[in-house]
Amino acid sequence: MASRLIRRKTLDSLGLFFVAFVMVSPVILFFLWMISLSLKYEIDNGAYPPILIPENFAWSNYLKVFEENNFLLYFWNSILVTGTATLLALVIGVPAGYGIARLKAEKSAVIIMIARMTPGLSFLIPLFLVFQWLSLIGTLWPQIIIHLVVTVPIVVWIMIGYFETTPIELEEAASIDGATPWQVFRLVALPIAKPGIVVSFILALIFSWNNFVFGIVLANRETRTLPVAVYNMLSFEQVSWGPLAAAALIVTLPVLLLTMFAQRQIVAGLTAGAVKGG
Amino acid sequence: MASVSIDNPMTDAEQIGSKPPRLVPNYWPFVLPALLVVSAVIVFPWLFTLWMSLNSWTLGQPRTFIGFANYVRLVQDMRFWESLWHTTTYTALSVVLPLFFGTLAALVFDAKFPFRGFLRGVFVMPMMATPVAVALVWTMMFHPQLGVLNYLLSLVGIGPQEWIYNQSAVIPSLVIVETWQWTPLVMLIVLGGLAAVPREPYESAEIDGANAWQKFRYLTMPMIAPFLMIAVIIRSIDAIKSFDIIYAMTQGGPGTASETINIYLYNTAFAYYDIGYGSAMAVVFFLIIIALSFVLLMVRQRANWSDMEDR
Amino acid sequence: MATVNIQNIQKNYGAVKVIHGIDIDISDGEFVALVGPSGCGKSTLLRMIAGLEEVSGGEIRIGPREVSHIPARDRDIAMVFQNYALYPHMTVEENMGFALKLKKADVAEIKSKVGRAAAILGLEKLLDRYPKQLSGGQRQRVAMGRAIVRDPAVFLFDEPLSNLDAKLRVQMRGEIKTMHQRIGTTTIYVTHDQVEAMTMADKIVVLHDGHIEQIGAPLDLYDRPANIFVAGFIGSPAMNFIDGRIEEGAFRTSKGLILPLPQTLPSIPGGRDLVYGIRPEHIRASTQGIEGRAILVEGTGSELFVRLDAKGEDIACLFRERLDIGFGDTVFAEIDPTKAHLFDKQTGRRI
Ligand SMILES: Nc1ncnc2c1ncn2[C@@H]1O[C@H](COP(=O)(O)OP(=O)(O)OP(=O)(O)O)[C@@H](O)[C@H]1O
Ligand SMILES: [Mg+2]
Repeated sequence: MASRLIRRKTLDSLGLFFVAFVMVSPVILFFLWMISLSLKYEIDNGAYPPILIPENFAWSNYLKVFEENNFLLYFWNSILVTGTATLLALVIGVPAGYGIARLKAEKSAVIIMIARMTPGLSFLIPLFLVFQWLSLIGTLWPQIIIHLVVTVPIVVWIMIGYFETTPIELEEAASIDGATPWQVFRLVALPIAKPGIVVSFILALIFSWNNFVFGIVLANRETRTLPVAVYNMLSFEQVSWGPLAAAALIVTLPVLLLTMFAQRQIVAGLTAGAVKGG
Repeated sequence: MASVSIDNPMTDAEQIGSKPPRLVPNYWPFVLPALLVVSAVIVFPWLFTLWMSLNSWTLGQPRTFIGFANYVRLVQDMRFWESLWHTTTYTALSVVLPLFFGTLAALVFDAKFPFRGFLRGVFVMPMMATPVAVALVWTMMFHPQLGVLNYLLSLVGIGPQEWIYNQSAVIPSLVIVETWQWTPLVMLIVLGGLAAVPREPYESAEIDGANAWQKFRYLTMPMIAPFLMIAVIIRSIDAIKSFDIIYAMTQGGPGTASETINIYLYNTAFAYYDIGYGSAMAVVFFLIIIALSFVLLMVRQRANWSDMEDR
Repeated sequence: MATVNIQNIQKNYGAVKVIHGIDIDISDGEFVALVGPSGCGKSTLLRMIAGLEEVSGGEIRIGPREVSHIPARDRDIAMVFQNYALYPHMTVEENMGFALKLKKADVAEIKSKVGRAAAILGLEKLLDRYPKQLSGGQRQRVAMGRAIVRDPAVFLFDEPLSNLDAKLRVQMRGEIKTMHQRIGTTTIYVTHDQVEAMTMADKIVVLHDGHIEQIGAPLDLYDRPANIFVAGFIGSPAMNFIDGRIEEGAFRTSKGLILPLPQTLPSIPGGRDLVYGIRPEHIRASTQGIEGRAILVEGTGSELFVRLDAKGEDIACLFRERLDIGFGDTVFAEIDPTKAHLFDKQTGRRI
């Protein structure tokens, strides 16, 4: 009797595994195919029926991406824009989340909800004009600043939720222990909120890295970020598929690796806040 | 409740003004930097857009105040109405399909089975992947002659499709990509809902002799309904604003067959540099999104009320 | 060390008055317990003394200094919270030394002070642990240690023992008392448990709905409660209250039960509605006195708790001797009239 029940359970869980595997297969197949495209020579990519694993791997595709397209510069641009926009967002967003939570002014976060609903383009038009007027176009600053539209709301939103759940008694204890409000924040509230900061950091990083629409308007040949650079490769017709797929993989690989390693935090952050910028 | 948030700053401002020292720490300095940044990059653009929408201004030419003329022009603009229709179908499909698959996936991932954590991790990857990169690979897969999708279809005896290169197939094709990318978000939201579902009702339903479908229909569904509603709201807002995938794959083509409002807006403002008209479009688009969110939130409220009455 | 003077302190949240003008004088080194039912305003009062809550009116003095508008960090007080409020990211040692570190005391001084406090509380071996690696009792001790290290003018406790199990609570009660006797710092201790207040305090303040019902030494409150509320709140099991009037030199209930009166009574106009109060422990089992039927019998071994139905009145008795009483038995209970109290039914005051 008992062994039958156990057998039944193993069968059930095997069945579930199978179902889950089928559901995940479009994801696996997509990325496999992406890797395959990026490692094939032109002939293999044009073959019919298509080839998944070629006889000769075209590692040169990756070299070509960097050699012919200035990709190192664009990679560096992406790091600068995303890095600066995310760090700035943490510097101003974490204290703001704290202040809003403690002021019990969560309602003011409505502004963030509305920002979330606003199409990115309606930020672009006015800021584009302002940047032109300040003659900042041609530097990375316009992109860094406009990426704040993505990163700041994510950080503030997640941090409000986080600070709301940290017990206020700890901060009262600290103020009785002689801490000034700033010390309370820096020595007590901030260390306790570290997991929340990590979550908001990762999500802000990802959504800023992936952002495309701000770049196509604000970037020129020297200031492109990776998504824009990849798109520009595509729009030159006749470009061969191998290097194109390699470029796509290079763009998204950092994010995918981050997703793999920080899966738990990302899931936590997304289910809690369910935010996405832009 | 709403009045509290409005009163708060006032009383605080008064306290700053008059002298008596405060015991409760002053939290405004913490908020101030973010307030400035948000005003500069979020609130200012809103107001500026509103103002620009009342002007006629093509970049490089003089600006003139024209009142509501841009809005009048918008109402008469057939291309706008067409893009509105494209947006509607695109959004509807991009909500329904991820919702269906995402709920299904959540139900599966809520159970225990080997490698669950790993598979869930893989399943989440599309929504984190860079949309432009994703779009690029899909474009190659959709290729009528060389694409792998037509090959796969031929294996099951279906003839070649034109996918994004065909006027009537382009929106469904884009929706496939959108669904592929955003089903995981719905899955996560619903999974969060399922995690909050208590076990006891299932045990007592078991004793009452309910079958699996009945348990799903009468226990699971009502309990995760609020989360489904959240997923619908978030998905609607994201889908209606979808830009990266459409722009990278079709730029609104072939012709204007996949031109949504957002794409048309982009073209107006940054291809034709018609800033005034583009701003008006942005304002209307924004109002449409707000209205949609509002309606969905109302539906959610109503759902909650009827929920209460049942108990 | 310092005195604490509270004068006409008030607190309202918006239109709701929570504390209605309270005066308390606490002398140097005194251990004062604030007791009262849940929601009566104990925590609010304590938090105003601590500086965590703005006062709506009145004055608080710690020593000679008016502190009601001075922030908590400058009041020279230490507080132990109900949930201990230990900093989860600091070790026991860092938790205890945090206040000194903020004062920029030097490392050696912090170490020696923390070491001394740890020795008092038996925490020497736990100094490197984090709060989550401690048991409830140990956390409680760390919270106290954090307060001791400060060497403040006043200790404040807000229901510090209510998260502990019954046995540990009794033990910690003893330890806090011992600590107070050793250090002698003025202490204000909030609890809703009157046993804690009775056993620990030099002086008890009974609060009810934001008013003070009575202030006094524990035995004062027990022997001479000012009113029905205090009489019912102090003592366990609670005092019996029986409605009735004085007629023909005896206390009679409407159903005809007659209860003995204390001799030293001021003259009371007959016909006035009164409440007769007698503690269960002041009733003896006997062969005479009130006749009743046992409707509940609970023995703990050391004592026997019996509830009697005497002519429709429910009377609780606590007997020290072992008696063979079963449910439904008829019991005679003799009241010690010198221990009986009479209260005015209308005002609730003791006569
Ligand atoms: N921030 C607040 N806003 C409005 N009313 C409050 C607030 N804080 C406390 N109160 C009210 O003040 C009264 C006293 O609260 P307080 O916390 O001091 O009670 P307490 O005596 O400590 O009770 P307990 O034994 O349950 O801890 C309660 O009725 C409570 O509802
Ligand atoms: Mg309390």
